[in-house]
Amino acid sequence: MQRAAEINLSTWRESRRLVHVNANWFAAAFAGCAVFSAAFASWLPLQLSIVSLFLFAGPHNWFEFRYFLSRLPLRFGRSRPFFLIAFSGIGLLTTAYLALPLLYNLSFWPNGDWSIPLAIWNTVMLLWIAVLAQLRGKQKRTRYWSLAFPVAFLLVSLNWMGPQLFSLLIVYVHPLIALWFLDRHLRRIRPEWLTTYRRGLCILPVLLLGMFWQLNTPTPIADDNGLFWRITQHAGAELLPNVSSRVLVSVHVFLEMLHYGVWIAALTMIGGANRFWDVKSIPLARHERGFPRLIGTMLVGGVLAVVLLWVGFAVDYSATRDLYFSFAMAHVLAEAPFLMRML
Amino acid sequence: MRKCFAAAFLLSVFAMALTTFADVARPNPSKEAKVVMHSGLEIVPDAQAFEARLEIPQDMWKQMHAGLIEGPGNTTLAQRIARSSPRTVLAGTFLFLSFAFAGVWLARSKQRNQRIAAALALGVAIVGAGTIIASANAGPPGYLRWQGLPSALTEGRTTRGGVDIAIVPEGSTIKLIVPIKRVTRTPGEE
Repeated sequence: MQRAAEINLSTWRESRRLVHVNANWFAAAFAGCAVFSAAFASWLPLQLSIVSLFLFAGPHNWFEFRYFLSRLPLRFGRSRPFFLIAFSGIGLLTTAYLALPLLYNLSFWPNGDWSIPLAIWNTVMLLWIAVLAQLRGKQKRTRYWSLAFPVAFLLVSLNWMGPQLFSLLIVYVHPLIALWFLDRHLRRIRPEWLTTYRRGLCILPVLLLGMFWQLNTPTPIADDNGLFWRITQHAGAELLPNVSSRVLVSVHVFLEMLHYGVWIAALTMIGGANRFWDVKSIPLARHERGFPRLIGTMLVGGVLAVVLLWVGFAVDYSATRDLYFSFAMAHVLAEAPFLMRML
Repeated sequence: MRKCFAAAFLLSVFAMALTTFADVARPNPSKEAKVVMHSGLEIVPDAQAFEARLEIPQDMWKQMHAGLIEGPGNTTLAQRIARSSPRTVLAGTFLFLSFAFAGVWLARSKQRNQRIAAALALGVAIVGAGTIIASANAGPPGYLRWQGLPSALTEGRTTRGGVDIAIVPEGSTIKLIVPIKRVTRTPGEE
C-alpha cells in the first residue's frame, strides 16, 4: 500500500488547476454567448427571431429528443406508472392544445369568455405535473415532493386569475428550463464545473435588467406586417401594453437563443454526447437487449422532420411558424418528466 | 401541534372568506359613460394664452383608441378577474385548496426546516392574494389632489392629479368634472 507521504501532490495540484482552467473557459464561453445573444437580440430583435427560429427550431428539437432517448431506462421497472402517466399526458395535452383553436369558437363558454378552455388546459397540465412529482417523490423519500400539490393548486389559482398571462409566463419560463437541465447534467458529468456555472448564471439578471433599461422606450417596435405582428403578439405585446414591445421581443429572442445554445451546443459537447450521429452512444440502443433499429429509425425520422420544417419555412414562413409553435408544445411538456427524473 | 392546526384553520377561514368575498356581485357599471383609461391631468394657468387647449400625448391617444375597440390589453388584471365569475370562483377554490393542503403538510411535518419552507410558501401565497385584493385600493383617494385647485388657479400655480377618461354617448363639448369635496378640519389643524 502506498503511504500518504509518498503520494505525489504535484500531479493532483496540476489536475485541480486544469479543472479550474477548464471551468473558467466554460464560464467565459457561456458568458460570452449570453452577452452576444443579448446584444444581437437588442439590436435586431425581429430579424433575429425569424432567423434563429428558421435555423435552430428544428435541430434543437432533434437534439432534445435524442437527449431524452439517452435518459430513458431499458426497463421501466418501478417507474412504470411514472412513465405511463408522463407519456399519456404528453400525448393527450398536446392533442388538446392543438384542438384549442376549435374550442375557442364554441359558444357554450360563460359570457363568451374564450380564455376558459385555455385555463382548463393550463389546469390539467399543472395537475399532471403535480401527479408526476408525487410519483417521483415516492421514489426519492424526501417530504418536499409532497408540497407539489399545494404549489400546483396555488399556480392553478393564479392561472384562473389570468389564463393568458399564465400562458405567457410559460413562453418566458420554458427557455430557462434548459439552464436547469444543464445544471443537473453538469452535476452528473462535470461536478467540478457546477459552482462556476452557477456563478456564471448571475450574468443573466444583469443582462435582462440592462436590456429593460435600454429598450423600454415609449416607441413600440414596428409590427406593420403580419409576421412581425405575430412575433410581437407571441412575446405578449397585447397582454402587457405598459411594457415596450421592443423589450418583450428582445428578451424573448434572447431567452430562446440561450435555450437553443444549451440544447444544441452545451449539452451536446459536454459529457460524451459529442458523437451525436452514433446511435450506439445511446444506452437504449447500445445494450444487448436494447432497440438499436427502433432508435435509429426514430432519429432518422427526426432528421427528416427537421428538413421538412426547413422546407416549410422556406415556402411559407408565417404558416409554418404557427404550425411549429402548436406542435412544439410536445417538447415543452416532455421536459417536465425528464427534468424530474434528474432531480 | 395545536398551534399548527389553529394556524391552518385560520388560513382556511381566511381563504374561504376570500372566495366568498370575491364572488360578491359588483355594482352595475354606469351604462352612460365608459371609462377607457386612467391617466394623469395637469391644469396649467397661462396668462399668455387666448384659447384653452387640451394636449393629449400621441401614445395616450392610441391607448384611448384601443380602449374604444375593446382590446384585451387595456383592462387591468383585477378588472379581468372581477368580470368573470366562473374564473373568480375557480381561482378562489384552488387558492383555498392550496392553503388547505399546505396547512396539512405543515401540521404533519416534523422537521424544523420543512416547517420554515411551508411557512414561507404560505406567506408568499397570502402576500400574493393580498396584493391582488389591495391593489384596487392602493393610495389615497384621488379627490385629495384636487382640493387645492381653486386657490392654485387664483395664484397661477399648476395642479396635478389623476383623471378617468370616459367616452359619453351624448354632448358636443368636452367636459372636465373636478371632485371638490368640503373637508372639515378639526380645531388647531392647518
